[in-house]
Amino acid sequence: MTTPEGSAPAVPTRTVDQAFMPEGEPWQRVSPVLAKAYRIELVIGVGLGLVVVALLNLIPDMPRVVPLVLAAALLVALVWIWIVIGRRVRSWGYAEREDDLLVTSGILFRRLVIVPYGRMQLVDLTAGPLHRALGITTVQLHTAAATTDASIPGLTPEVAAGLRDRLARRGEQRSAGL
Amino acid sequence: MSERDPLSFEVLRPASGPDQHGRRRMHPLTPLIQGVRWLPAMIVAAITLPAQLELTVGTGMLLAAAAGVVIVAVLAVGWNFLQWQRMYFWFDEDGDLRVDSGVLQKQERRVQLSRLQSVDVMQPLLARLAGLAEVRIEVAGAGDSRQSLQFLTLAEANALRNEVIARSAGVRHDAEEAPEQLLAAVPAGDLVVSLLLRAETFFLLLATVAVIATTVLSAGSVGLLLLFLGGVPIFQVFNQFSRYYDFQVADSPDGLRLRHGLLQRTRQTVPPGRVQAVGFVQPFLWRRKGWVRVRLNVAGVASGNQGSGDQSYTENVLLPVAPWPVALAIVARVLPGVDIPAVPLLSAPDRSRRRAWIQWRRLAVGWDDAVVVTRRGRVTEHWDVVPHARTQSVRVTQGPWQRSLGLASVHIDSTPGAVRPIALHRDAGEARDLAQAQADRAAAARAADRSLRWAASPQPLDPAGGVAPGTPDSVPLPTPADEPAAGLPVEATADHPDAGPLEQ
Repeated sequence: MTTPEGSAPAVPTRTVDQAFMPEGEPWQRVSPVLAKAYRIELVIGVGLGLVVVALLNLIPDMPRVVPLVLAAALLVALVWIWIVIGRRVRSWGYAEREDDLLVTSGILFRRLVIVPYGRMQLVDLTAGPLHRALGITTVQLHTAAATTDASIPGLTPEVAAGLRDRLARRGEQRSAGL
Repeated sequence: MSERDPLSFEVLRPASGPDQHGRRRMHPLTPLIQGVRWLPAMIVAAITLPAQLELTVGTGMLLAAAAGVVIVAVLAVGWNFLQWQRMYFWFDEDGDLRVDSGVLQKQERRVQLSRLQSVDVMQPLLARLAGLAEVRIEVAGAGDSRQSLQFLTLAEANALRNEVIARSAGVRHDAEEAPEQLLAAVPAGDLVVSLLLRAETFFLLLATVAVIATTVLSAGSVGLLLLFLGGVPIFQVFNQFSRYYDFQVADSPDGLRLRHGLLQRTRQTVPPGRVQAVGFVQPFLWRRKGWVRVRLNVAGVASGNQGSGDQSYTENVLLPVAPWPVALAIVARVLPGVDIPAVPLLSAPDRSRRRAWIQWRRLAVGWDDAVVVTRRGRVTEHWDVVPHARTQSVRVTQGPWQRSLGLASVHIDSTPGAVRPIALHRDAGEARDLAQAQADRAAAARAADRSLRWAASPQPLDPAGGVAPGTPDSVPLPTPADEPAAGLPVEATADHPDAGPLEQ
């Protein structure tokens, strides 16, 4: 890990959080239910991992300690990711502004996407079986660039549909070909 | 156009004319050429498979293999004949290109020419020998937006190309082919030297030596034969040479025309205003020569898997190698009014050295009224240029290492392609302001952009085909007074089709 040595010129002019979630914008958070969905997915994933580890025992000549270490690692990962998910979900935010949509997310790898309404080509609403059961939806924006990557998970269906309609309307007003 | 192609026999008469519905067909020789195309691969398979299975090769075996090849070839030609029989193309009353095809599953396709991105006339070697050509039409759109028409005689293909471009530009579609002016030609010697001076060539050579050594050690000389039939890594360099041999760039009112190829000839046309981004690449060893390679992003022309087969190779090269001044002069034709060296650049902060030890001094970003420019790379230097009006979205990203240094990167998203502009390792606060400023510049430029219909005549023949895609049909909803409504200037152009700046 490289850390700045605290020398004066290296101090950023703003704090990092302000850079990725600037104040004064109408930031909206996503539903905390998203954390629940992620945690259920996590438990299912770790459960499958434990099954695989248990099957390792069936391999002859396998030292006892290997499955034990793997299982312990999985459980530690479970606890750690369980905690991180809360922060991860709180890190999501979006702001509908006059001419563009801001989407921010991430803890370790942060990002802020500015998508002009005039550049939107498609707005997708998707929800897998689990997310549907919990009543949350993902809104995904597409532009002509494949790298845009502006999706907002964890919206209640009403919020998602309202957002989609507003985005579609603004997109139509400001649409500018390619 | 009238120049004689030494590799083409040009013995064929044009395909039959339109039928009673005005529909046209591909050239009748098409199925044969499409079927025979697989013959070399099949022969290789017929040789290698028994060798691989270590079967003893007797006369019966040879006969069986020959019979297999013939049967497969006949089946392939037969299938292609059925496809040919069911494939028609014509222009509908809206001026769009319609293509009906499909043997088992019918496909009716409408190619919206107002969204045209580029037209290529390609001559794969076999088709070229017969004097035939394929027309590839790219329109903007998600997914499979490419329409390929195989094969027409070269004259027909060129005529179709002209008609497609003229219709998409909104000019009379029976107009003469626009005159062209040769801007640059790449000498074969420069191309060879430039390919040899790439680090890639060196690594390919190493890989080739390694592959040959391991094959000879493991499989003996038989393996070597198979290897050469299948190809060794160094062939890539020959491919590049063959692809960009005799590269010519010409300017014409209907766009930039690129011609290249040793065996397979390609004539590419990129209408003005279709260029989404331009990238200059300068490998380390080219620096002394002052050479650069110039690449383009064009919407709908997917990029990525370069070098794997002729189908997927779509790294859009504007110039395979050229001196800086020549490259800049040609890019000035693609992006009119842009002076890239005059764009003031801002370097990344000094502390970016801790994140990017080698290239930090070269990291820079800059902009003027028309474009944003990013520079990166110490060994191979990249200059990427995006017009503000073509900016899709702007992203700020930050990894943990950057975060500890208070740095962040700004991505200017363009359509998929080889050019991916990124301002690496800026101060985090500056990155955020940069992204916002870029989004604002893009919005302003979009509102003023008129390049979608570059040659609209005072009385366009087909107004439906000429209207800019996405122009709102309905009256825009009332917008707040302080906001410049982006839709209005586009409408103004629609009312006065000759108001926009014409490219010629």
